[in-house]
Amino acid sequence: MNACYSYKSFALLAVIVSLIAFSDQVPAGDELNCVMCHKHRGLSRIDENGEFRLFYINQELFDSGPHRRNKCKDCHTDIDRIPHKPAKKVDCAQQCHIVEPSGQKKFTHKPIADTLARSAHGKLDADGKPKPYQDDFPECKDCHDQPFYRPISVYKGKVKSGVSERAVTRCKACHTSGDFAEDFYEHVTSRLRKTRFPLETIEVCAKCHQDPDFRERHELDDVVTTYKQTFHGKLIALGSEKTPDCLDCHVVAGENTHLIESQTVPSSAVYKDNVPTTCRTEDCHTKAGANLAGFQTHVTYDRKKYPLQFYMLMGFKALMALVLYFFLTLIFLELLRRLFPNFTFIKEKSVDSSPQQKKS
Amino acid sequence: MPRYDPIVEKDGKRYFFRFSVHQRVQHVILFSSVLLLAITGFPLRHAEEPWARPLYDFMGGPDLAPLIHRAAGTVLLGLFVYHTIYWIVLFIRDDLGKLKAQGKLNLRTGTRAFFSQEMVPNMKDFHDVVHAWKYLLYFTNRPPRHEKMSWREKFDYFAPYWGIPILGPAGVLLWWRDEITHYVPGIVLNAAYIMHTDEALLAVLFLFFVHWYNVHYAPEKFPAATVWLTGYLTEDEMIHEHYADYVKVMIEQGLEEEIRPQHFGGQEYNW
Repeated sequence: MNACYSYKSFALLAVIVSLIAFSDQVPAGDELNCVMCHKHRGLSRIDENGEFRLFYINQELFDSGPHRRNKCKDCHTDIDRIPHKPAKKVDCAQQCHIVEPSGQKKFTHKPIADTLARSAHGKLDADGKPKPYQDDFPECKDCHDQPFYRPISVYKGKVKSGVSERAVTRCKACHTSGDFAEDFYEHVTSRLRKTRFPLETIEVCAKCHQDPDFRERHELDDVVTTYKQTFHGKLIALGSEKTPDCLDCHVVAGENTHLIESQTVPSSAVYKDNVPTTCRTEDCHTKAGANLAGFQTHVTYDRKKYPLQFYMLMGFKALMALVLYFFLTLIFLELLRRLFPNFTFIKEKSVDSSPQQKKS
Repeated sequence: MPRYDPIVEKDGKRYFFRFSVHQRVQHVILFSSVLLLAITGFPLRHAEEPWARPLYDFMGGPDLAPLIHRAAGTVLLGLFVYHTIYWIVLFIRDDLGKLKAQGKLNLRTGTRAFFSQEMVPNMKDFHDVVHAWKYLLYFTNRPPRHEKMSWREKFDYFAPYWGIPILGPAGVLLWWRDEITHYVPGIVLNAAYIMHTDEALLAVLFLFFVHWYNVHYAPEKFPAATVWLTGYLTEDEMIHEHYADYVKVMIEQGLEEEIRPQHFGGQEYNW
């Protein structure tokens, strides 16, 4: 009933929209003219689960992302007519129509999905049995939204954000046709730095790892909060992109980012024996001694787990309380004393101070 | 030191010598470096707070602020060492030198000389603390009569002597964390982190509440005391804060007849 209703409303909408938007240009990659309807900001409905769904596509944002050369149908494969019925969820591991230039094969994200399945975030354990709380394990889209390119330009040794006219000039000398030069340039230079700003990466991890119920279900520490208390986390909060976010320490250098493993797995970047190597990569604490690995990260002030930190903190708190309460009480009483300078329970005779009484 | 008159009269008012130019310059270097350390350090300590990032950006952001912090820290450590040497030199030259000239220098007189230095706490200070609480709780109507340095000033003075030995080495460890981990276990850095960050909070809270009360917020000082610039205290301030010293200096200068009674605060203040 619901589906039928939405089908009719879509059909009606499509007719109206086609009447008023007849002269619109068809963007590249949109050979089915999907944007004719999906460019309207109000295009939305309440789905069968009562959830509000927005189907609006911002062409400008879409065009600044890596999927801009995909046709809609490359991912939304089940749509074969317009107006269409509610479409299935996109499977990122399917083959799309883009041919990957280095291997001349059709492109797919399947290897990434396979890597993820081997990582701590995979749904199956080492024996191939489903881990408990299956819904807690992330799918592609739980961490990735539509990404944007973050290209950089280098000119005369100066690095800046975006694609500069000068940066693509040398590409365009040969690759004259279409937007290929720009596309390829953005594809490559966006990967010269992280696609996300480190703060966003941390927020992605925090979606699950900072959720108290989630942590209780999987018996995990509040690693996001404790990370934010480190110098790494603090500098990132202050806008630095030079200090490591979660991925920099939890992925083995040179390994696929999607292969994050538990600290109990010997191949993990944060396995006890691997920590010195992880800290001392050529971009980080290169000159450090292996002892740097003994530095405890993700520290809580738990008496049993981190006794040193707990007792030091308590010591400093006690000292601070002692000093500040003593002096603040003194200041308070002194200000009060000024209001009643002559009041006293015991009057001293020697108050008027002649020089003979200078010894106090 | 004959270069500074113990009492200077200007426009009919008396001013009492406290600090030489040399000492005042040390104080300026001290508070400049401490303020710089605080405003480049605290945004990092409270990075999640909304004020942290604007302040940190104002101080140069993640690229520059740490350099300022380390430079200021180096200056402060340098000053600490310099001042300690200055102190020892003065003690040997003036106090021990005098004893030696009199031929009375031995372990006992030397120790006594050490504890009679104007900045070193002694029994009088202990009595003054008790006396201060008696006065503040209305058990006496006569405030303590401090000598050249009151116990509160001595506490202020020695606060850096416990703060810097904790903050400084911890800061150096965190600064040279890579080099240092060849020799010490990594957990030392955890300890250094807590030492640096919590002692810094104590230092800053103490300075901003207690020290700034003494020299800024107190009604007769507000908005700011001037002794750190001029080196001299007014007669009223001397009477209020250092009555014993006031009387001593007045007698030494032959002004015994003009000694004024001790202040009690309130209406008797005329400034």
